[in-house]
Amino acid sequence: MPRVNEKVSYWMLVLPALAIMVCFYILPVLGIWEIAFTEPETGVGNFVKMAGSNAVKTSFVITFRVAAITTVGCLILGYIVAYAISNFATRLTPLMVALVILPFWVSVLIRSFSWIVLLGRSGLVNDALMHAELIERPLRLMHNELGVLIAMIHVMLPFAVLPMLTNMRGISGVYVQAARSLGASEWTSFRQVYFPQTMPGVLSGALLVFVLSLGFFVTPALLGGGRVLMISEYITYQIQEFLNWGLGSALSVVLLVATALVLLIAARFVNLRATLLERK
Amino acid sequence: MTDTTDFEAKRDIAEIAVERYKQGRLTRRGFIAAMGALGVLPAFGHRAMAQTKEIIVVNWGGTAKDVLQEVLCDTYTAETGIKVTVDGSGPSAGKIRAMVESGAVVWDLCDSGAGSAIILEQQGMTEAIDYSIVDKSKVLEGTAYNNGVGNYVYSYVLATNPQLLGGNIPQTWEDVWNVKDFPGMRTFRKSVRGQLESATQARGVPLAEVYDALSTEDGIKASIAKFRELRENIIVWGSGSDSQNLFLQEEVAIGNIWSTRAHLLKDQMEEGTFNVSFNGGVIAPGIWVVPKGNPAGKDEVMKFIAHGQKPELQVQWLEKIGSGPINPAAAELVPAELAPYNPSSPQNLAMQILYNDEWYAKNQVSAEELYVDALIN
Amino acid sequence: MHVSAFKIFFQTGAWLVIAFLVLPILVVLPISFTDTSYIGLPKEGLSLQHYANYFTDPDWLNATWTSVWVGLVVATCASVLGTAFAIGCWFLSDRAAMVARWILITPILVPPVVQSLGFYRFWVKLGLIDTHVGVILAHTLLALPYVSISVFAALSNLDRNLPRAARSLGASVMQTVWAVVVPAARPGIATGFIFAFIVSFDEIVGVLFITVRNVQTLPKMIWEGIQDNIDPTIAAVATLLIVLTLIATAIGVLRRT
Repeated sequence: MPRVNEKVSYWMLVLPALAIMVCFYILPVLGIWEIAFTEPETGVGNFVKMAGSNAVKTSFVITFRVAAITTVGCLILGYIVAYAISNFATRLTPLMVALVILPFWVSVLIRSFSWIVLLGRSGLVNDALMHAELIERPLRLMHNELGVLIAMIHVMLPFAVLPMLTNMRGISGVYVQAARSLGASEWTSFRQVYFPQTMPGVLSGALLVFVLSLGFFVTPALLGGGRVLMISEYITYQIQEFLNWGLGSALSVVLLVATALVLLIAARFVNLRATLLERK
Repeated sequence: MTDTTDFEAKRDIAEIAVERYKQGRLTRRGFIAAMGALGVLPAFGHRAMAQTKEIIVVNWGGTAKDVLQEVLCDTYTAETGIKVTVDGSGPSAGKIRAMVESGAVVWDLCDSGAGSAIILEQQGMTEAIDYSIVDKSKVLEGTAYNNGVGNYVYSYVLATNPQLLGGNIPQTWEDVWNVKDFPGMRTFRKSVRGQLESATQARGVPLAEVYDALSTEDGIKASIAKFRELRENIIVWGSGSDSQNLFLQEEVAIGNIWSTRAHLLKDQMEEGTFNVSFNGGVIAPGIWVVPKGNPAGKDEVMKFIAHGQKPELQVQWLEKIGSGPINPAAAELVPAELAPYNPSSPQNLAMQILYNDEWYAKNQVSAEELYVDALIN
Repeated sequence: MHVSAFKIFFQTGAWLVIAFLVLPILVVLPISFTDTSYIGLPKEGLSLQHYANYFTDPDWLNATWTSVWVGLVVATCASVLGTAFAIGCWFLSDRAAMVARWILITPILVPPVVQSLGFYRFWVKLGLIDTHVGVILAHTLLALPYVSISVFAALSNLDRNLPRAARSLGASVMQTVWAVVVPAARPGIATGFIFAFIVSFDEIVGVLFITVRNVQTLPKMIWEGIQDNIDPTIAAVATLLIVLTLIATAIGVLRRT
């Protein structure tokens, strides 16, 4: 049967990538579950310990709070950019798009480094403010949640802009024009006609930023001063400082489950396939 | 019992190699040798190579490996003709145990910690120290165990930046907790090791009674509460270089850091911007242990340990790497300009308390949890 | 022409946000030319000492070279595997293929620290810790989602009747793939290749877990530099990378307009 043969040859194309992904990625990640339930002893001891720990609870609260604020910040700032790019075509529009994408290509490490340089106690921002005699002593811009949030919004912003841009570019101008010709003001027609049409883009952006922020490590670790302890940093902390693989793995499992739950809940509002699988 | 050996501290001494090399204090050859040693060597491959009468000493790599080779080993070879080689692959208690249990012991002497020494002794993995060869009076009191003996010391010290504090330097840990008179950020370690002692003193507990005050759960909680009180002014350091960097970048004015890092900072910071006080500090020893059935024989190793106790050799450790002599008699030979930075000088010793491994074995895990909570919650 | 407050709000707002995106990245520029030995603006004049430091320090140069060649190997492996995967799925277009596609993008969703933990334990068992092979394998896995997504996107414009026609004219499956589908996927493959290279070139968390001293990559040098000893050499390295990015972006913009 040629049809079956054909399918087999297509699967031959699919299999190599799928096989190494399953063997060397899915299995190791599942291996973490095993560690969580077996080290130092078999059972749910690590999870019991975790549930009783205030530090773990706080770390989760911090993680979700930072992720939520980052998401909201990115949506507001990103919306403005995406709107301007897709609705006011000027000669500078391609430049705008390029500048939005530019940070994507610059490593997160370098961007975090830039923020350290800017926000430190003797950093450029404090220096400039002191020089202008606007402040007497340096402001605390880093080694706290503020610093982490500023840098995280910076890192995540392009992830919010791009899905919104894709969405807005597909919106026809006729509805807003109709509203305007019926006498609605620019603001009203924006709010009542345009904005609702952009919701799919906004939700995709929100989902991407939120999920990526939940597991974020580099920026909080470098700018948090140890006090903005997000779960990812807490995991490395358990493993590097205390060699506590069991608890570190249990935390990883919970973080994975939390991420999966967010995706499941989001699936009711967002087209996951368009957001994740068919990204441009 | 948990192993409380502070491997981080040991690794940190290794890292200082990079620092020294940058400052031109280590030769390039020495540096490359030290870095090469950081790659973990196969633990069981050395036996065939080990000649009779060769002593293999194992430490944690980095400059410490280099300095150990130069200061103790090469001098011993010159005196006795016995070859001594340093292996920097990190003699953790687990590795020592695995080696002894497998019967393929290739290490003669290991740079361990009190926590590991006690556990290994209980498990019967180490030889007893022969105090007829090794001189008990040549080590700091409290660092001569049955199956382990002190080899050098480092401290948790009070470091300050007088310039950021307007010349007003905190003298005690109580001062450090006084944010009103001493405004500015503080740095403490990401772990409670050597830190909880500071908070306990800030409660008004005299230095000598610190571990008594920490003997109850309420006592621990009271000290942790001091961190909660101070936390808006705290940035934590994870690695030794981290703590060094916080001072260099002027991010903090005050900190509880390792004396080995302070040793580097005193040369790096500008005049008047760095000060170290051992007042209320915690002093921690490194401990030599001998794996059971070591290839060179027990007596040979004891002689080598005794050789290492010589004050003139001990002083070189301080000069080269910042770790303090374990032999109190070495203090006299320390150059005057280094004396204030010597963790085991009589003056500094009198102001410090010995790191209590038994306390950590019992309480560290639960204290760490409370500590993190106090800092972030 | 009347310009409304509405338009002014969005226009200026957009430029302000773009300034927030771009300007902080550029601060490394003046700092890289500082004549001081610490992080700060130039005091008395511009200096190239930190560039000289970068170009004469074997550690930095070796790490750069490692990142480049590892990145190229990763990009090649991921492009080949990912392209084959996407083309296979495109032909199949059934439920199973959809599941496969979801499996392949999991590395995008799993938090970096969690996956690195998994890598670490598994790589220890395989003896891949601190080896280039270990890093290449890990990075290839992390890059695969990007290749498969971009190739799939390129294929979405391909008319399904074309390969059918080729088959009915007697071409074998592989001939069809090679002559009809791959050319259509080419822009996607190119994008995927670049993405894969960047993923590997910038990756830090995994490298921190699965390498010790033997493998040094550029991000690891920068990470250790930020943690250990913030010196302006990092700014010089960052500037070089940013200038390269700017040039590439400029070429992209010019080609598009």
